[in-house]
Amino acid sequence: MTDEILRVRGLSTRFFTEEGQVNAVEDVSFDVRNGEIYGIVGESGSGKSVTALSLIDLVDSPGRITAGEVWYRNADLAGEFRETRPEAVDGEFVDVRRLPEGVRRSLRGPAFSTVFQDPMSSLNPSLTVGEQIAEAVEVQRRARANPRRTRSRTQGYGLSNLIVDSVLPSRSYVSEESSERAVELLEQVGIPDPAERAEEYPHQFSGGMLQRAMIAQALAGEPDVLVADEPTTALDVTIQAQILTLLRDLQEREGMSVVMITHDLGVIARMCDRVGVMYAGEIVESGTLADVFENPVHPYTRGLLGSIPDLEDPAPRLQPIEGNVPSLLDSEMGDRCYFADRCPMAMEDCLTRIPEFAVSAGEPQGGVGSDLDGVDDAAGGGNGGAERGDDGTEHRARCVLAEREYDPERALPDGYFDPESAGPPRSADPERRREPEVNADD
Amino acid sequence: MSLGRFILKRALQGVFVIWGVVTVVFLLRFVTPGDPITFIAPLDASPALRQRIAAELGLNKPLYVQYFDYLAELVRGDMGYSYISGTEASARIFARLPATVELAVVATLVAVALSIPLGVVSATRRHEPADYAATTFSLAGISTPNFWLGIMLVLVLSVQFDLFPTSRRALGFVDALGYLAQGNPNGLIVWAKYITLPAITLGTYFTALITRLTRSGMLDELGKSYVRATRAKGLPESLVRYKHALRNTLIPVITVLGLQLGSLIGGAVITEAVFAWPGLGTLVINSINARDWPLIQGCLIVIGTSFVVVNIAVDALYAYVNPRVVYD
Amino acid sequence: MVSPRTVRNLKRELGRSALAKVGIALVVAVLLVAVLAPVLAPHHPLKQNLGESQLPPLGFSAVTNETTSEMVNGSIEVVQRERQVDASLSHPLGTDSLGRDMLSRIIYGARTSLLVGLLGTTLAVLIGVTVGLTAGYYGGKVDDGLMRVSDVMLAFPSLVLAIALIGLLGGASLRIPDPIVAAGVEPGMPPNIVLPGTVIVVVALVNWVWFARVARGEALSVRSEEYVKAARALGASDASIILRHVLPNSLTPILVLATIQIAAIILLESSLAYLGFSGANLSWGFDIAQGRQYLSTSWWIASLPGLAIVLAVVGINLVGDWLRDALDPGIEGEGGV
Repeated sequence: MTDEILRVRGLSTRFFTEEGQVNAVEDVSFDVRNGEIYGIVGESGSGKSVTALSLIDLVDSPGRITAGEVWYRNADLAGEFRETRPEAVDGEFVDVRRLPEGVRRSLRGPAFSTVFQDPMSSLNPSLTVGEQIAEAVEVQRRARANPRRTRSRTQGYGLSNLIVDSVLPSRSYVSEESSERAVELLEQVGIPDPAERAEEYPHQFSGGMLQRAMIAQALAGEPDVLVADEPTTALDVTIQAQILTLLRDLQEREGMSVVMITHDLGVIARMCDRVGVMYAGEIVESGTLADVFENPVHPYTRGLLGSIPDLEDPAPRLQPIEGNVPSLLDSEMGDRCYFADRCPMAMEDCLTRIPEFAVSAGEPQGGVGSDLDGVDDAAGGGNGGAERGDDGTEHRARCVLAEREYDPERALPDGYFDPESAGPPRSADPERRREPEVNADD
Repeated sequence: MSLGRFILKRALQGVFVIWGVVTVVFLLRFVTPGDPITFIAPLDASPALRQRIAAELGLNKPLYVQYFDYLAELVRGDMGYSYISGTEASARIFARLPATVELAVVATLVAVALSIPLGVVSATRRHEPADYAATTFSLAGISTPNFWLGIMLVLVLSVQFDLFPTSRRALGFVDALGYLAQGNPNGLIVWAKYITLPAITLGTYFTALITRLTRSGMLDELGKSYVRATRAKGLPESLVRYKHALRNTLIPVITVLGLQLGSLIGGAVITEAVFAWPGLGTLVINSINARDWPLIQGCLIVIGTSFVVVNIAVDALYAYVNPRVVYD
Repeated sequence: MVSPRTVRNLKRELGRSALAKVGIALVVAVLLVAVLAPVLAPHHPLKQNLGESQLPPLGFSAVTNETTSEMVNGSIEVVQRERQVDASLSHPLGTDSLGRDMLSRIIYGARTSLLVGLLGTTLAVLIGVTVGLTAGYYGGKVDDGLMRVSDVMLAFPSLVLAIALIGLLGGASLRIPDPIVAAGVEPGMPPNIVLPGTVIVVVALVNWVWFARVARGEALSVRSEEYVKAARALGASDASIILRHVLPNSLTPILVLATIQIAAIILLESSLAYLGFSGANLSWGFDIAQGRQYLSTSWWIASLPGLAIVLAVVGINLVGDWLRDALDPGIEGEGGV
């Protein structure tokens, strides 16, 4: 397994707000392979967009990446920093987070590029679309011409240029050549009359055309990894399909990897090779598309897929998952499986933090009495840059059901997490537990 | 709509506003108590003499006739003759205009040059000492009456340290340039010495105001998605801030500046009073005190017209900087 | 009118902003000083005492030029001599050129500033909101007319227009018995509160346009809302729709603008008084003008009233910032000055 371009390990991002600490991304690990589309799916508020921002190191204050590594395969950089920053180098990989700020910024474009959710707000309204794409080309052109300078804050773009440019719509940053390249890029993403459209402003574009322009801008740096954060959410359904097709074609043509962030399982099913399901800042289940979609283990994933089997009622529930989107406030998160309060299959085991388990093909492994603590120790620690997948499968889930069958005897009583009835866990009574739930479904 | 047509349309609207200004100014004389003749005629003037004066000035004609006469004269550039000195009102006004324009331009230039960088630094170093200094300055600046600031400057810099003259204006900028052309830079130095304190007095409020607007606008812009997207494409931070965020910050700043132009002129009036600066402001105050109607009307029309003209220029600048502007 | 959410936002913003607390403290202090002026002032603010003129504030001493007639070499001559003057405990902030107590004048000056600021703003709100809501609600010709009038109004700087109006109308003021003095608490103090009527009307006349513009904008945006259409369909009269639906929606931006305008009007009043156009003889701006002449000998006469203005206006501006941040009315911070 050396064909990864990106290995994310133990990434945690927190927001320090007035209401308290928000754990938006918690100990997230995944790999992205060369030329694949890796999907991250979750409800809004699950931390998937913050994960995208953390990857490209653009988390704004009051947010901060508090832990974790983002290993990016780049033999040249690895060579450059092997001596000076050995801790940031592992084989051909460099830990982006431990590189100097200037180098990190120079990776934006050629290493990581981003397509954001809302193209209208993601482009500067007062510059032409062509100029904005040309800027993305120009910054790489200058980087190639003078690699050192890329890392400076001004890139040889002096104070006087700044003053003139900020007052007048001058183009002294962007060269003729970059402007021409911008037109080519617009053509590549299927925008008709690209030369004329390049001269227009974002408000003159339709949503779909604008998202194409955003994609053109993201391609400008010829990125290794394209992070697409809900790229179709703001668009009409018909346009969505076109944009997805475009992304897929471009990914194949350019041979780049794509991290596709979405709340839409349809997008995942259509685009992705492998997928991670996020809930409350964690990846709760991950694996190949087939693993996760055909053999979901985590009740949350099953809920998302709309096929939670009810033990006593074989008809699948098509209801969305009950309960609220979890609070990510550190003070309210508790030391348990974060999904337990919404989980129809919550057991006493779920009252501790659950590590990631490898899901053995087909059936859950381990019996009721398996040694939980032992597994916790083995899987809970950071894996560093080391390879994962200790048992050959990459289907993993952060759920005890990966290890054992649901045991109604150990189920938590209903209303266990309600603030009013909060009390010590009593012995589970399946009968009492059923009744209110039926009512709630009506 | 093209920029040219937009400006043309605004200019046409401007003409109407100027006409409104002229009308208001004309009517002002008829709604205020007191017969202007009382102020012109000698105290012991006989009714016959008063009649003659009124006839000479056309004050005995019906209102609408006087109004159209006034408009007709105005179009020819004739604002009448000062009741007090008998000189041509327009000549008096245009003789005073350069001093006021100089003061306003210098104050504006200094204010813009200081406040925009200050606002940007304040926004990009939020909660750092530079930000606290800038916000404290700008709060004090918008809360200080400028005439008092001027007097305090005189107290410290002129009375205590004798660095600047306390009042008046020695020569105009054009004169100073004339000396410079003859190889004598002293004229410019003297000019600068005289204009420094009045310009600070007039400019501080605007520096403070634009600093506040730039800071809050910049904070707004830096939080927007496009700024993040601009960073994501690898642009250096200086370009993100100045080429992208600052440009969009300046759009509302320009609008407010246009609206605040009135207070710039108002500020100039009182600044001139503090420093005995021989501009339009002191002229208008003196004329009002003397009920010198032709001068009052002329001054108000010139002030109102310059406001309208500069605002059209500001609108044109706004449309130029902001391509989204929808010219309805 | 004031929803619990509004109150919560105000409280939260107050909790996190130390500046808002400072602002409220300053405003409350100035209000108290203005209301309790007869009690707080150590002297009658208008009482002259030439023997104690130009006394410096406590902690300072000053040198004044004194003109006296003296016998010099057998003939009477007018001589100027410098006199060392020390501060007096009974005049903690010194005295002006006529020996009037600075502290008492500053305390009474707060009344003038606040009366003009509050009443002038109230009047401007009444005029502006009425005109603005009417124009915005009816639209069409009424609205066009208002916008043209407001364009013309804006073409005159408010100070220039105010000078012209006051200079030409002449200043008139009302005298209202001071309840504290009337109650016999401080019998030595001025018996009347002077209400500078012309100034109040004029500052309202030159500032109502800002309120009209904001109210018009709000009315325009509310006019097409479903609940307004529904009310109209149900046969509610225009006046009741304006009062019950349009007005409440405009209150937040108008409140924030009014706060900023109080500060602006206080500055305007002090400018008018400085230029001698307000007719007031008990105003911070008036004292600054007096002190201008004595700058080289008695710095405090011009300086101290100015500090009072700055403190009052800073306080109001901080409160304005607090309201704006808490209520987020979506108007430009600086409505107009």
